[in-house]
Amino acid sequence: MDDLTREFLIESQEGLDRMERCLTMLEERPGDAGLLAEIFRAVHTIKGTTGFLGFKRLEKLAHAGESLLGLLRDGKLEADRAVITGLLGLLDGLRELLKTIEAEGGEGDRDNAELIERLEALQTPARAESRQERKPRAKAEAKPEQAEGSGPQTPEVNPTPAQAAEVAQTTAPTQAGPAQAAPEAGSSKTNTLTGTAAESTLRVDVTLLNRMMNLVGELVLTRNQVLQATAADPNLTMLSRRLDMVTADLRESVMKARMQPVSNIFSKMPRIIRDLSLSLGRRARLQMEGQETELDKSLLEAIKDPLTHAVRNALDHGIEPPEAREAAGKDPEGTLKLRAVQEGSHVVIEVSDDGAGIAVEKVRNKAIERGLISAERAAQLAERELLQFIFVPGFSTAAAVTNVSGRGVGMDVVRTNVEKIGGKVEIDSRVGKGTTLRLRIPLTLAIIPALIVRSLEQSFAVPQGALSELVHIPPERVASAVEWIENAPLYRLRGRLLPLVFLDGMLMPGRECKLVAGRDNFIAVLDAEGRRFGLVVDGLADPEEIVVKPLSAVLKNIGLYSGATVLGNAQLALILDPGAIALKAGVTMSAEGEAGDGSEDEQNLDAISREYLLVEAAGRQAAVPLADVLRIEQLPVSRIEYIGYRPVLNFEGQLLPVEDTGDILAAAAGDPEAQIVMVVCRDGNRHVGIVVSHVLDVADGGDLFEAGASQRADGVTLLKNRVTGVVNLSGVQPLAIYENAAAEFAQTE
Amino acid sequence: MSAKTLIKRKQKTDAAVQVCSVRVGQTLYGVPIAHILEIVGSERPQPVPLAPGYVGGLVHYRGDVLTTVSLFHLLGVTPSKSMQDILVLESPGGCFGLLVDSVGEVLTVSQDDYEPNPSILDERRRALFAGAYKLKDSLLVMLDPERLDPLRLGATQAA
Repeated sequence: MDDLTREFLIESQEGLDRMERCLTMLEERPGDAGLLAEIFRAVHTIKGTTGFLGFKRLEKLAHAGESLLGLLRDGKLEADRAVITGLLGLLDGLRELLKTIEAEGGEGDRDNAELIERLEALQTPARAESRQERKPRAKAEAKPEQAEGSGPQTPEVNPTPAQAAEVAQTTAPTQAGPAQAAPEAGSSKTNTLTGTAAESTLRVDVTLLNRMMNLVGELVLTRNQVLQATAADPNLTMLSRRLDMVTADLRESVMKARMQPVSNIFSKMPRIIRDLSLSLGRRARLQMEGQETELDKSLLEAIKDPLTHAVRNALDHGIEPPEAREAAGKDPEGTLKLRAVQEGSHVVIEVSDDGAGIAVEKVRNKAIERGLISAERAAQLAERELLQFIFVPGFSTAAAVTNVSGRGVGMDVVRTNVEKIGGKVEIDSRVGKGTTLRLRIPLTLAIIPALIVRSLEQSFAVPQGALSELVHIPPERVASAVEWIENAPLYRLRGRLLPLVFLDGMLMPGRECKLVAGRDNFIAVLDAEGRRFGLVVDGLADPEEIVVKPLSAVLKNIGLYSGATVLGNAQLALILDPGAIALKAGVTMSAEGEAGDGSEDEQNLDAISREYLLVEAAGRQAAVPLADVLRIEQLPVSRIEYIGYRPVLNFEGQLLPVEDTGDILAAAAGDPEAQIVMVVCRDGNRHVGIVVSHVLDVADGGDLFEAGASQRADGVTLLKNRVTGVVNLSGVQPLAIYENAAAEFAQTE
Repeated sequence: MSAKTLIKRKQKTDAAVQVCSVRVGQTLYGVPIAHILEIVGSERPQPVPLAPGYVGGLVHYRGDVLTTVSLFHLLGVTPSKSMQDILVLESPGGCFGLLVDSVGEVLTVSQDDYEPNPSILDERRRALFAGAYKLKDSLLVMLDPERLDPLRLGATQAA
């Protein structure tokens, strides 16, 4: 295939994509001249170029469509449903032909006579008398524009103006039309706009981008190694720091180059929904949000199918037929919401409908019926865990199999495809209210932040995304830190029991699971899809940005590793899959997460909640706003020094005023060995330390309202259903030096 | 070079096979050089806990992580030294490394000296070996990279 044809194919695809978007919009705003002009232009460009490339069949079809569009554009025909269906048929026909050309280099011998006839028939209704007169007019109008159209119009899709000019030149004689027709209203503006965009952008082959990404991955690895190797040499520090910065920048740029807005796939949905609702007899309104959210190109490709499946499912199983909706007291027109939002290193795509939801009971019964689970076990499972069954291949609660879905393949495909790219699928459903499917997609596949842990004298990488906290167990606590229920190891984390998984024991079956006496032990508290557990490791190394390398199938089959990576010290490390470890160890979803999820909405509605650190001082409980807590330190009481009567702490070279409302310092003063717990908080620009007896928990606090007043009560919060006083940080008296500084600060301002 | 000698050479290479000799334990093995991408000297592979026994670990190779197959484990011999040479082999399922004691010279052997696997060979070895070439004073046991592919080994070992 020659370059010109290839270029034409790419352009035409883009044009047709635009046309598809406009057509679905046209259905809502039938008279919109701008939309009609856009559609007309797309078909017109195709027709113009095909004539010159010699694709007769394509030209004929495009011509038939153009005539119809001409009538529409001139307002001589109403864009009703039949017309739009016809135009969508035209779109499909054009796509089909383009596909054939792409695959075979020729147009094939399929005839579009029927479609052309249909398009022609659409031009006639109720206006038969004017047809004779108008059709030639539309043609005549179209012709001159063609020559003109290939010139200034193509640059919007054509990155090489030279080529466009060439097309224009060659087209002019063939079409034999004077290039003088006035451009359609509104199009000139679009042309200039997109024209400049075309000049500053260029098409790049995806394989080249992939290669660049791989090379950047290599560079990141080399940088990590250089950084470690030169850490000791002061002469190289500056250089390696510069290398570090440049690498980070380059990585970001290459990643950005691969980003595309999710609107690329969202824009396919209106058509799918339109066609489906017609064939299923549903009425649905589509709402889209966050279309500008960007995602790596390969990931975008990968979620196209799962997303389509999810949308089909939502429409077929979620949204009920209009009559049923009306009977249930809902708007007969259902709402399907597509929402994309970036959350940290992930993009979350939500497909939610306000349909019937999934009846958990049905899922439970089906699971038992299919023998996936025993009846006793099913009774124990939480709703959220039961819902996971809909991802099992062949699982469907649909009573009837429709030609759209219900065969039970859909959700399985959704999950497999999303997990393949390192994403996660969550489902949330309320009977009668609707279902929300959440796809969590990593921003990029290749490079992720990870914590490096040591076990079995080997390094392993734990994706930082799953890590919620680290617990250090000093040698003196080794003997008492782990508690056992029979053979289940548990750790008491802020008063709650956390199931433990010993990494060495898991990787080497038969090895005794215990903390190593006489040295430090560490627990990495992981949260994998709601499964919370502590992973016991021998040691921790620095977190690193790791480049994920795929593993061979044999090693992937082990199931515990999601990949491998090369560390800064040139050592290889396996990347652990926290979800798989949790599953293998039998950790189930915690009830805590479940309750949290359930109450989330209500809390959001009822009151703005804040998280507090619950502390105890001298037998009284108090709350410190968690957002203000910087660190929690355990230190010997001897480190507290005094300026006059004021206790202060030399904390990392800074002087910290210490608040001791519970007189804990006085109580501990007699024993120089005594340890105190200090909560280091931020109060505006300064830091203060608060001495407490224990740190109890972190909890959500609710606002309290004074009886009869609508004003929020200050200084107290509802924590675990108990009214708790909030520590007033600004009440901590500043040290004299701070006062001076504050005064100075005020003056300069 | 005249056209005649070119044809002659071609005929010669048709009958002859170039084989890279490797030593594992006491035996000399051969791998057709067409399947060898590279020979990596002395690296210590990173072990993979829970991996099947025949997996010798992972090595870093040209920006990729390569799974290696331990011929020692497959043949039940202990390596003679702690560091081993790695042959990077190409197979339909992708690349993998083969751990051997040492890599020797490339031998040119003639098709005429080839004999298939003897019938008295145990089944496990019969599955790994692809016949042998009779050298002047010893035998060169041929290894078939395709049969050594970790994926295939996984299938045959499990069966």
